[in-house]
Amino acid sequence: MKKIIVENLKYRYPLSENLALKGISFEVEGGEFIGIIGRNLAGKSTLCQALVGLVPHFYKGAYSGNVEISGMNVLENNISELSKKIGIVFQNPFTQITAAKLTVYEEIAFGLENMGIEIKETIRRIEYVLHLLDLEKYKDRNPFELSGGQMQRLAIASIIAMKPEIIVLDEPTSQLDPQGSEEVFKAIQSLSREGITIMMVEQKIEKIAQYADRVMLMSDGEVVDFDVPQKIFLRDDLLNYGVQAPVFTRVCRSLNIKNKNTGLYPVTLDEAYELMVRHEQNRS
Amino acid sequence: MNKRRLWSFSFTTATLVLIPAAIGINYIGKLFAGVLKLPLWLDSIGTALASMLSGPVVGAISGAINNIIYGLTMDPISFVYALTSIAIGITVGIIAYNGRINTLWKSIIAGVVVAIVAAIVSTPLNVIFWGGQTGNVWGDALYAYLIAHAVPVWIASFLDEIVVDFPDKIATMIIAFLIFKGLPRKLILLYQSGETIEKLD
Amino acid sequence: MAKTLSLYVERNTFIHRVDSINKILYVLVSVAIPLILPYKFVAVLLILISISFLLLAKVMRRVIPLIEFSVIILLSIVIIQGLFHAGNKTVAFHIARITFYKEGLSYAFTLSMRVINILLAFAILVLTTKPSELIEALVKKGLSPRFGYVLSSALQIIPQMMSAVGSIMDAQRSRGLETEGNLAVRIRAFFPLIGPVVMGSLIETRERAMALEVRAFNSREKKTFLNERQNLRSDNVIRLILFSILSLSIVLRVLL
Repeated sequence: MKKIIVENLKYRYPLSENLALKGISFEVEGGEFIGIIGRNLAGKSTLCQALVGLVPHFYKGAYSGNVEISGMNVLENNISELSKKIGIVFQNPFTQITAAKLTVYEEIAFGLENMGIEIKETIRRIEYVLHLLDLEKYKDRNPFELSGGQMQRLAIASIIAMKPEIIVLDEPTSQLDPQGSEEVFKAIQSLSREGITIMMVEQKIEKIAQYADRVMLMSDGEVVDFDVPQKIFLRDDLLNYGVQAPVFTRVCRSLNIKNKNTGLYPVTLDEAYELMVRHEQNRS
Repeated sequence: MNKRRLWSFSFTTATLVLIPAAIGINYIGKLFAGVLKLPLWLDSIGTALASMLSGPVVGAISGAINNIIYGLTMDPISFVYALTSIAIGITVGIIAYNGRINTLWKSIIAGVVVAIVAAIVSTPLNVIFWGGQTGNVWGDALYAYLIAHAVPVWIASFLDEIVVDFPDKIATMIIAFLIFKGLPRKLILLYQSGETIEKLD
Repeated sequence: MAKTLSLYVERNTFIHRVDSINKILYVLVSVAIPLILPYKFVAVLLILISISFLLLAKVMRRVIPLIEFSVIILLSIVIIQGLFHAGNKTVAFHIARITFYKEGLSYAFTLSMRVINILLAFAILVLTTKPSELIEALVKKGLSPRFGYVLSSALQIIPQMMSAVGSIMDAQRSRGLETEGNLAVRIRAFFPLIGPVVMGSLIETRERAMALEVRAFNSREKKTFLNERQNLRSDNVIRLILFSILSLSIVLRVLL
């Protein structure tokens, strides 16, 4: 079943002259992991916010086109209704803390209390996400006392507790140190294994190459290309869109090491390593 | 583009989140004045900013909650001065909505207006609770002098209040104006744009 | 340094377990009675009652910082009114060559009792009630949960912002920046440091608002509460006593 259907989506922020999104269309299947890349102001964040309903309900402005999330029309449903189907995690972990709760445990409960989920079920879900995101030992801490990586995992946990089918991640590690980023990427992998559909904007291109089933290349409010990573990262004009291919792809390309079966260059470390070893063996 | 109405009672999430931030700014101003030993209070900069961003209603609520929280955590008498804070929020909100706080000079004039309003609202409270005093050394010295010279309590108390309010509210409005000027357009739009979604094409 | 702004003192006493709504009612009743029955001994009696509750709750020592500021002003009122009150006629006593008058002192006493009575009643509320419980109790009584959020988050955001500013100030002071000297110098030294914290806190409101929205902040469902307080049988008894006392004082007022 299609989880996300976007048809000719156009959007302009209030008092702005230019369209931020200029007629975007695409579809995403359940369980897919989608990477979104492109330079600053390409419209990546606006698209993320349009999927969860912040565009247009939060910002207002001018809107046309059709976005359907698990069969729910974004324009016709409010953000709270949509949050049952789709969640979002932003860059800054600090601003995602509600600041109204005194412990990690209560922080996760915030969304569930608002949704009117009964207490037994709330507790069951909190225990589940604490475990899934490895936050059990911090459950009684004040959220503000966590490290950046822990705080961001808390933000993810708080969203996952609401049981969305889709989660949007808008550069979830851009404000974290390397250790915090690794923690968060590990957490994202475990979400993907749980079967949650993921849309992730990320500058760390190697991570996109490693996780994504398909990659969306955006530029100037439009989708330029939407395909498997091997095809996207093979594009000669990639640099024009402010994106560099993963380092493994570039190395293999300069050595002309291709996957014999697909005829494409590798995009992940594992794949590149394997091909290089085989390449060496063939030579000797 | 449609603009938010002056007396809008529809609270968006953004306006509700603005209130705690405004109160935090009030506290910072107070701390700042204390550490620098300034002869001012500077405890309504946040209220003024909330009014400038989001109108008189949100400003008034920021002011009221500011005093409720101050009352619950520092000085219970501050509760009754919530009335003064509400008046400050409403006054700044109206002046700002009419576009009257867009230069340094206009912010000074706004400060004078706010000071007069604040003193008018505070004076009866000062008389009921403190026999007309304000707790500010300079103001109270003037008050004692006036009372000793048979000036009526109400007038003495008003003057006690306003000698402190004039410099304080003028400084407050100048600082609020300078901060407001530095805010990103996207933020200001979020608070001031209308409440409807337009259709493209 | 994450703290919530609160004067709550953790103790295991009966007063602490009293329903927060009843404590609010207690404050209202103690403020109302001296207005209904404006006799000095009524105010004094109420003050004594509040003091005994504070002693029972084992928080009497924490009352002092709370009323310190007001007591200083009250002292200055006693002096100024004792010396200069408009109705001053009867000499009370002399200190050196300065004369204090009965009328002024009596007026100052009435004011002081009124203020101290309110302060002590509030002290019971704020020293023995967790703010989070108080706010949840209000929400259950019909306060909009969205405004409940505003109150709880203010209690956490204020200390956050204060500690951010505090650490900037400390850093600057250790680098030898001016906190003394000429007014202009002092202002110029600190404004550029505090500006960013203030701006940042305003800019963050956009992101925090979005984060709340996607956590069903504006949901129309009936909210549930993770921490459910068990109602005690004593809650209703206390409420009944408070209302009886208030009604009694109104009756007395009419009869006297």
